[in-house]
Amino acid sequence: MFNAKESEIINSDKIHDNSNSFSIEVKNLKKHFTGKKNLEDVKAVDGITFQVENGEFFGLLGPNGAGKTTTINMLTGLIKPTEGTVMVGGYSVAKDLKKIKEMTNVCPQEPSVYKFLSGMANIKFFGNLHLVPKEIMLKRAEELLKMLGLYEARKRNTKGYSGGMLRQLNLIISLINDPNILYLDEPTVGMDPRARRKVWDFLRTLKEQKKTIILTTHYIEEAEALCDRVAIIDYGKLIALDAPKTLIKQYEVTNLEEVFMKITGRRIMEGI
Amino acid sequence: MKVRRIFTIVKMELTRQVKDPLVLVFTTLLVPLLILLFGLAMNSKPAWDTPYTVFEHMVPGLLVYACILTIYDVASSVAGERQLGLQRRINTSPLTTTEYITSQLIAYSVKPLIQFGIGYGVAYALGYRPPDMTFVRYLLVIVFLLLLTFCSVGFGLITAHLAKSASAAGGLAFAFIVPQQILSSIIPPWVMGLENVAKAMPSYYAQDSLYFYLFNTAEPLTNSTLWMNFGILLAISVVIYIAGVFVYEKMKNK
Repeated sequence: MFNAKESEIINSDKIHDNSNSFSIEVKNLKKHFTGKKNLEDVKAVDGITFQVENGEFFGLLGPNGAGKTTTINMLTGLIKPTEGTVMVGGYSVAKDLKKIKEMTNVCPQEPSVYKFLSGMANIKFFGNLHLVPKEIMLKRAEELLKMLGLYEARKRNTKGYSGGMLRQLNLIISLINDPNILYLDEPTVGMDPRARRKVWDFLRTLKEQKKTIILTTHYIEEAEALCDRVAIIDYGKLIALDAPKTLIKQYEVTNLEEVFMKITGRRIMEGI
Repeated sequence: MKVRRIFTIVKMELTRQVKDPLVLVFTTLLVPLLILLFGLAMNSKPAWDTPYTVFEHMVPGLLVYACILTIYDVASSVAGERQLGLQRRINTSPLTTTEYITSQLIAYSVKPLIQFGIGYGVAYALGYRPPDMTFVRYLLVIVFLLLLTFCSVGFGLITAHLAKSASAAGGLAFAFIVPQQILSSIIPPWVMGLENVAKAMPSYYAQDSLYFYLFNTAEPLTNSTLWMNFGILLAISVVIYIAGVFVYEKMKNK
C-alpha cells in the first residue's frame, strides 16, 4: 500500500535493536481494581503471559468484561499494571513509553474524532501529533481514504458521517503514522456486513505488509478469518492460545466460534 | 517539546471556537455582547460623585469576566474530549503532558485577548474613553488578564476532573465562576462594600488592577498596591495551575 522508502523514512529511527523476534512480550500481567467499601477487588486481568511475533496478526478474544480492553490499555500504557511486565518493540512500557508510542497506534473501540472537523482535518490533526512529514501524511491519507471509500467525503464535516464511516475514519487515523504495531479494539463493531468485509480486505493488506496487529473482537469469524493466532481470555485469565485451526482441531469442532462457546460457554450460559 | 504538536492543538481549539456556534457565542462573543448591552442600557451617572457612567465603571470587570469564563471553556472541552475518548486517543500518541498543557494555555490565552480587543473596541465605540492610556498601561492590562486566564485554565482542569461528563463540567464550572463574577468582576466590590470578602477571589486582584489602569492617572509602575496585586495573583495562579495539571495527569486516561 505505502511506498517502501517512505515507510523507511518514518520507521528507520524507531526499530529497536531487538535480539528476539517478538513485537510484544507480556509476562504475568495483572490488573486489580480496588473495590469500594465492603466489595472485593476486581481482578480484571489476572496473571496472563503471552508473546506476539513480529508481523503476526494476533487476536484477543473473550466475553464482555473478560479483560481484553484492560489488557490493551496496559499494552498501550494508558493504565499501569498492578503486577507484571510488558515489552513492546523491545522497549519496556513502564520505562520507555514515549519510544513505544512512536512506533504504535491504537484504533479505539468507539470512533474518537472531532465532530466539528472534516475527515481530512481529523487525519491531519493526529498525523501532526505523530509528527508525520506533511507530504507523506497527505499522500498516505489520500491512499487510505481511497482504499476505505471515504475519499469523496474527506472534506465533509464528520458530524454528517454515518456510524460505519466514522469507524472507517477511526481506522485510517490509527494508520496515519504507519505504525509497526497496531492495536485494533473491536474495529468493525456496528458495521454492516459489506463494510465489514471491506475492512477485512483492508486488514489483510496490512498483514501482507508484515505489520504486527493485535485485534480484539466479538466477531469470532473475524478472528478466524484474519488472525494467525488467537488468545482467549476469561475472568482475566488466559484460557487458550494457539492458531485458530489448531484450536479447532484440539477441541474437535468445526469453527472457532464453537471453540469459543465450548470454553467460555459456562460464563455466557450464566448470563454474566 | 515539539512546536508542531503544540500549534496543531492550538489550531484545533481555535477552530472549535469558530465552528461551534454555542462556543462562539458563549465564550468569545458573550463579553463583547454584554458590553454592548450594558453600554446602551447603563449610560447614566451613578449615585456617587464621578465623571464616569455606571457602564464605564463596569468595563474593567467585564473584561475580567471574559477571563473567568475560560473556566467553563476549558472544563467543558476537556471533559467532552474525555467523554468521547479523544483524550485517550491523544494520550496514545507521543504528545507529552507539557505539550498538551502548553497548547491549552496558548489557545485559552488568545481568546480573552480577542475578547479584550473586541470588547474594548465596542466600549470605545460607545464613548468609553479611559484617561491617559499609554502603551505600558495597555500592556499591564494584558498581563493581568493573562495571569487570571492562567488561573482559570487551572480551575477548568480541576473542574473537568471532578465532573463525569461535559455537561456536568459546564455546570460545575459555575461553582468557580459565579463567586468571582458576583464578588469581583462586573460590579466593583467596593460598590457593595464587599472588598474583604472579594479578596478571597483571584479575579479581585485583576479587577482592582484594571480599574486602576483604566481610571487612575497615577504612575502605574511605582504603585505598591498594583505590585502586591500582581504578586498575589501570580502566586494564586501558579498554585491553581499546578493543581490543575496534577489532576489532569490523574484523570486523562479515565
